[in-house]
Amino acid sequence: MSPNSARKAEQLGYKNVKVYHEGMPEWNKKNYSVLSAHSLNASYIKNDIPHVMLDVRPESKAKKGFIPGAVTFPAADADKLLSKLPPADKKPPVIVYDQEGGKDAMEVARKLNKAGYKKTSVVVGGYDLWDNSNYPTKRGSLATEAVYVPKPRPGEISIDDFKKIAAGIPADTIVLDVRNTDEANAGMIKGAMLIPDEELLGRLAELPKDKKIVTHCATGVRAEMAYHKLKDKGYKVNFLNAKIDIDKQGNATITKE
Amino acid sequence: MFAKRPIITMLAALFVFGFVVLTPGAHVAAQEKPTHAKICLTCHKAEPGNIRGYLEGAAFKSQSLQVKIDDAAEILTFDPAKLKVVIKGKTEEAEALRDISKGHEIRVEYIEKNGAKFATLVSSKPPISVPAEKLVTTDEMMKLVAMGPDKGKYMLVDSRPAPRFYEGSIPTAVNIPDAAFAGNVDKLPGNKDITLIFYCGGMT
Repeated sequence: MSPNSARKAEQLGYKNVKVYHEGMPEWNKKNYSVLSAHSLNASYIKNDIPHVMLDVRPESKAKKGFIPGAVTFPAADADKLLSKLPPADKKPPVIVYDQEGGKDAMEVARKLNKAGYKKTSVVVGGYDLWDNSNYPTKRGSLATEAVYVPKPRPGEISIDDFKKIAAGIPADTIVLDVRNTDEANAGMIKGAMLIPDEELLGRLAELPKDKKIVTHCATGVRAEMAYHKLKDKGYKVNFLNAKIDIDKQGNATITKE
Repeated sequence: MFAKRPIITMLAALFVFGFVVLTPGAHVAAQEKPTHAKICLTCHKAEPGNIRGYLEGAAFKSQSLQVKIDDAAEILTFDPAKLKVVIKGKTEEAEALRDISKGHEIRVEYIEKNGAKFATLVSSKPPISVPAEKLVTTDEMMKLVAMGPDKGKYMLVDSRPAPRFYEGSIPTAVNIPDAAFAGNVDKLPGNKDITLIFYCGGMT
């Protein structure tokens, strides 16, 4: 996109046009980004995008008014609070604000970036600008522990729900194993049905339309493809988006990245 | 060269499977599913026999790949012995599919086989090349941002769509989405000698 715009600017007569081609991903590796109160509201808040929001003011001050969803994370205690955050390898977007978008927020954002949080942003103008722009605020106690739950993909079943079903498959449900026969030979969930993903469309007649279907494979990739194939054909279907190992006895070990 | 082949294929399909294609249900289903992601159509024209979207995943075990086209998902099968994969203009074997990162823009050529889509070629979108003298590095960018637009004598433009910009941008940037460039020329500086820097979501 940026090289296109650069070309258009040159056509308008701009003589000194450059492209920062590495762009946002490389910037985020070494720096925090910024967002305005309007941006914060229009993205994370309105679209319900999972994130971690940190209020870095002293808690006593934050209690008088804070941005809904924020966790108290006083700048003075940042170093020792770092370990309480959701792990960086889950890649949570972290939003940091202070009173007026000043040094405290920037300093905490820099620390977070160094600690491996590569999608960290600072709210420009801080709490003051948010409040002055008439966006919603809250008073009272702030949460002390940040929680980050990535949004499930369409059709994804929760691991807990899958475990419940796998423990005793209800009569109205089919657990559909879409791995290859040789993978399934090493062990299958008790009562599950095997149709390798590549055979699925040719064997739809084996699947009753009035049952709920839950697909799984070994990693979630084929299970998701099977989900889309079945959904397109009008089935009620979900899939397990996780790594799953099944032993000879049918015991499943499920791990989510 | 791509235009002719699919038309012949379609005509052949009509001839052989005419009764299937012309049933209303099948017709509607074929109409509903997009073959090109909206953003791809800002530069490319929709071509029959082609899909443009984002690679979501590839499973060699079931010889299938998944393409995200806006909110829809398209599953195609492929033959690992025959699929061609084009990366940076070089045609490689199916194994190269593993080298395309998840979420990358791709074009897939396919044929209809037994009512399902069968991929014959996957082409990974190459980065647009920018002459070295026009490139700004991350370190240079950091120095400019530390100075600010007045002292650094620059204007920084974020070319990404607004929703991406809202999720966080480089400090001092102004958002002019590439697709909306023409309508926002007034946001550019009057001084045509100023350093005008564009950036977006990177090369991958």
